[in-house]
Amino acid sequence: MSVITATTKQNAGPWMTLRRRRQFAGFLFTLPALALVIGFIGIPIGQAIYYSFTSWNGLTSQWIGPSTWSQAFHNSNLWTALQNNALLLLSVPFALGLPLCIAVLLHQRVAGWKVFRSIYFMPTAISWVVLGLVAERFFAYQGTLNSIIHFFGFSHTNTNMLGYESTALSALGITFVFTMIGTNTMLFLTGLATLDPTLEEAARIDGAGRWRIFRSITLPHLSRFIQLAFVMTVIALFSALFSLIFVMTGGGPGYATTTMEFLIYQTGFNQGDFGTAALYGIILFVLTAIVGIVQLRLIGSDE
Amino acid sequence: MAEIIFDGVTKIFGDDIRAVDDLSLAIAEGEFMVFVGPSGCGKTTALRMLAGLEDITSGSLSIGGRIVNNVLPKHRDVAMVFQNYALYPHMSVERNIGFALKIRGDSKDEIKRKVDEAATILHLNDFLDRRPKALSGGQRQRVAMGRAIVRNPQAFLMDEPLSNLDAKLRVEMRLEIARIQRLLGVATVYVTHDQVEAMTMGDRVAVMREGKLQQVDTPQDLYDRPANEFVAGFMGSPPMNLIRCHASAGNDRVAVHFGHQVIELPWNYTSSHALPESGLEVVVGVRPEDVLIVDGASTNTLETRVERREALGAEILVHLSLLDTTTSSTSDGELSRPVSLVAKMGPRTKVSVGDILYVQLSPEHAHFFDATNGDSLRTRP
Repeated sequence: MSVITATTKQNAGPWMTLRRRRQFAGFLFTLPALALVIGFIGIPIGQAIYYSFTSWNGLTSQWIGPSTWSQAFHNSNLWTALQNNALLLLSVPFALGLPLCIAVLLHQRVAGWKVFRSIYFMPTAISWVVLGLVAERFFAYQGTLNSIIHFFGFSHTNTNMLGYESTALSALGITFVFTMIGTNTMLFLTGLATLDPTLEEAARIDGAGRWRIFRSITLPHLSRFIQLAFVMTVIALFSALFSLIFVMTGGGPGYATTTMEFLIYQTGFNQGDFGTAALYGIILFVLTAIVGIVQLRLIGSDE
Repeated sequence: MAEIIFDGVTKIFGDDIRAVDDLSLAIAEGEFMVFVGPSGCGKTTALRMLAGLEDITSGSLSIGGRIVNNVLPKHRDVAMVFQNYALYPHMSVERNIGFALKIRGDSKDEIKRKVDEAATILHLNDFLDRRPKALSGGQRQRVAMGRAIVRNPQAFLMDEPLSNLDAKLRVEMRLEIARIQRLLGVATVYVTHDQVEAMTMGDRVAVMREGKLQQVDTPQDLYDRPANEFVAGFMGSPPMNLIRCHASAGNDRVAVHFGHQVIELPWNYTSSHALPESGLEVVVGVRPEDVLIVDGASTNTLETRVERREALGAEILVHLSLLDTTTSSTSDGELSRPVSLVAKMGPRTKVSVGDILYVQLSPEHAHFFDATNGDSLRTRP
């Protein structure tokens, strides 16, 4: 009798198929991560969008609709900041090219390469505030740069890059390149370490010289690492320059070194206009996303 | 096509690691030479020196009459097939094969013609647009071959090119490589640790151990007349039985003492071997197929017990232990095995573990080696 009962139950089947149970389990497992993403990314973005339509002084907010948006786009400081961000993008090729050259040299195991590797990586381990202070002293009228120029015999030549609107952004860009060298060099060294050395040997036997090997074998292998470095560098450029700007120039002279990120700070915390600052935050987010997507489209691999 | 000559070539890594020690060897035009030996014997280092990927510490190396010690790999006119194929992952099969020609500056039409020609030989025409990752192991191996043959080089260098393939594909590709080499008639140096590959592919085989060349000969001569205990044990599967014993030549007979058991071999061994007269210790070597089962005990038989039986389908390997002996296996660490004999028998032979068998060593095919240095005691080919 008990056998018959068991058979009947088996024929009826479980209330949920194995496939559905697996899907359900998968869904349950993703819930914690989903909650974190929604809680820490989704909701803040939603709040920022909401606050961009309000007049918010940090304590109370008042819905004023899309007028914040139209006013913001008539603000010349926004366009100056956007222009500064665009100009700083010119430093990205240097922030990638220099580390690439250094990584290739270090990968050749030149004498003392371990020491050089530590030296190049050092800026990464130092706070950007400290780097900003060092850079500020370097570019100052009585700073290291002028000392070097004088050392080479140009005693009547003096620079003050941070003191002029025309050169302050360049000084900021140079400092930014310097701060990115360590991270990107390490990234490229990692990429080079994953390059199968027999590929280079095969190319040498095939008749390729050093430049040809670099162009035809090494560079294609590093393309994914270069893409990653590009995205990381652009994101750092758009969203991590604050400490450098704060220490080196305070956004000046005038608005010469004010980037979108610094403008958000100034608008929110100096002027107490958090609604507009939220709007600028959204613009910066969209810009970063666009640059990332365009880059992936342009250089993106077929994988 | 060219002759390759190693003349006292030595490679020392660091201060004292002799990877290749005084290698002297001539490889004729169109010859298929196989370097074989266990891991770390220096065979790959020798090949890499030939390719120009390793510097030569001393000695000279020439290709086609030109000393190439200080010549860059790209100017040696050799092509190499690597163990992992070393295909350029971001290039299609067509670009992989044509890469060397493009660097050489051949015209697009010329490259296409040569690539198509190589692809036809290697049956790769349908895969020219694919990337290496979309190919099977055998196809990748063929692309690596294509990259080598398209250049029409003076020599092919192959570094264990079949070791990443499964057993069946390895047999197929073995035949394929041998076919292509014969077709093109280019001198080939092929490195492997697989003695079956060495025996089946090489016109001649160079056996190496600890950087030193042990013997270079045709596969059959290596098998039949090994120069020393190492070659005897390395070539052949299952390997030759090597047993320490005492031999004495006198009174028109050669007596071999395995402990208390004694067998006699024909007197003509004394004319081809420098056998001791006074019962000194030697190593006697017998191939498994030369261990013959006989019906009963006689003056020339050894009494053995079956310890293990391995049925391989076409044959049976029977592991025998000598009874009533104090015989030890060879002193060579790498060749040291339990005191036993392996006999190769027909598939229908009725033997079981524990059986007592009487065996004879084929009187025509026994080998004798010096018990101290392992050299063959053969004095005449």
